[in-house]
Amino acid sequence: MDVGLFGQYVMNGLMLGMMYALVAVGFTLFFGVLDVINFAHGDSLMVGAFTGLATYLGLRELGVVWPAVQVPVVLAAATAAMAVAGALIARYLVLPLKSAPALNTLLITLMLGTVLRESIRLFYPAGANPKPFPALLPAGAVELGNFSLRADNMLMLSAGLVVIVAVHLVINRTKLGLAIRAVAQDEETARTMGIDFTRIVLVTFAIGSALAAFAGIMNGLYYNEINFGIGLLLGVIGFSSAIIGGLGNIYGAIIGGFLFAALQTIGAVALPFASAYKDVFAFAVVILIMAIRPTGLLSEKVSERV
Amino acid sequence: MSAANNATLVVEDLYTAYDKADVLEGVSLAAEAGRITCLLGSNGSGKTTLIRSILGLTRPNRGRIAFADAEITGLPPHKIVARGIACIPEGRKVFPKLTVEENLRLGAYQEASGQVVAERIEEAYEAFPQLRERRDQLAGTMSGGEQAMVSIGRGLMSAPKLLLIDEPSLGLAPLLVKQNFDIIRRINERGITVFLVEQNVRQTLEVAHYGYVLSKGRVVAGGRADELAATQEVHEAYFG
Ligand SMILES: Nc1ncnc2c1ncn2[C@@H]1O[C@H](COP(=O)(O)OP(=O)(O)O)[C@@H](O)[C@H]1O
Ligand SMILES: [Mg+2]
Repeated sequence: MDVGLFGQYVMNGLMLGMMYALVAVGFTLFFGVLDVINFAHGDSLMVGAFTGLATYLGLRELGVVWPAVQVPVVLAAATAAMAVAGALIARYLVLPLKSAPALNTLLITLMLGTVLRESIRLFYPAGANPKPFPALLPAGAVELGNFSLRADNMLMLSAGLVVIVAVHLVINRTKLGLAIRAVAQDEETARTMGIDFTRIVLVTFAIGSALAAFAGIMNGLYYNEINFGIGLLLGVIGFSSAIIGGLGNIYGAIIGGFLFAALQTIGAVALPFASAYKDVFAFAVVILIMAIRPTGLLSEKVSERV
Repeated sequence: MSAANNATLVVEDLYTAYDKADVLEGVSLAAEAGRITCLLGSNGSGKTTLIRSILGLTRPNRGRIAFADAEITGLPPHKIVARGIACIPEGRKVFPKLTVEENLRLGAYQEASGQVVAERIEEAYEAFPQLRERRDQLAGTMSGGEQAMVSIGRGLMSAPKLLLIDEPSLGLAPLLVKQNFDIIRRINERGITVFLVEQNVRQTLEVAHYGYVLSKGRVVAGGRADELAATQEVHEAYFG
């Protein structure tokens, strides 16, 4: 394979890996504090992307056309909206079911995901059609032989990296992060330390959902298009990534996200037939990994999460 | 009067259940401010359930719990901790994947001042020098005796008015059991009210000022520790 094509594949793999990692971290955080899987998480990403798009259109109506203003406002609106949505989901859908069987939470979040998808499809103006997403980032590129290193991709990767490092610092270096880790390890003892359990759960859902919104904006900027269904596959992939990494382990989720993207890329390059099979290939490998290591790569005992 | 003199715990006619059957059936007792009050009772008599009720982990169905002249029945644990109550839970319950220092830090979770927290960590290290050497070690990798130190140190980090201690000698070697009771005495000498749950009758009654005996969710005896040691109920609760 020539170097240019190889470079494109690597760049594409990194971009996808970053998005998957961001989604997977949410799944793993939710599971850490509450032992639940939020199957609406992918759709939170989608709603985040649409919130960003609507914010962009609103800014344009107001005559705000400078990317230096648009990008931060779009990001802030999408992440803030989803942070609030995540906290509301935790407060009114997930926490009330805390003592019910885990299947009930699974079912209710699945239904919520459908409601979010259908709401966008029905109520967003012409929501059933794919929507062009504006190219808000600088369009320049550095030509390296026949591989063009695009500025927008580099910016997105750097921003994603900054977000992941920020999550790491919050979890490991702040009082909030200490409380999240304590709740993940032993909820009752954490409560007897004086930690307000409900507050920690809401904040964790807010953080995870904001990360999904960030990934949603990345998705829009990368493909220049979004539609009401993008959350489905991204949700399943993010969930798979979190599982491969060892559910509850943040670093496992990040590794899982990049691993999944690597598998897709390898599938696209190595399979002799159409690259449409790359997902089949990646999921098949995930199934294989799960058969060999049922609790994921960085598996830990349930009592030792996050 | 100072806060410590006000740190009396009163439990009145408390009924607590997990599913249907009551575990506590009308428990009434008091832990007087500045004293060590113990609760004796055999396995399954409901001692831990009472501690859980006081801490707000399991909501009682009936009755009331008051601390420092204010009702705390039904409050969530973080609000109860805010009143000045801390615990050393049954089985130590250190956070296994957190370091010794992180465990201690969590004990002072509601303390806003970083400087105060640092001072209290320093006090804990002075009391347990081994913990200082192992401050960055994961608590789950330590021996039972060391985990007991972490749990005690953590319980004191909030500078509580009332400390609830649930079976501290469980699973410890005899020498450590004796040390544990000495530590409890010293904690109390600092003015902290202690409510101590134990099965170890003799040593507990030696250290405690007052005691109660719990049997099948009911208080069957209570009084001064030295008098209690001689009563029939204590023996019946264990052997009867
Ligand atoms: N989490 C729980 N769920 C249901 N029943 C419980 C739970 N914890 C304790 N019990 C029951 O309550 C009774 C009292 O238990 P406990 O308070 O732990 O006693 P003790 O601490 O005196 O040994 C026991 O019969 C026990 O089986
Ligand atoms: Mg017990």
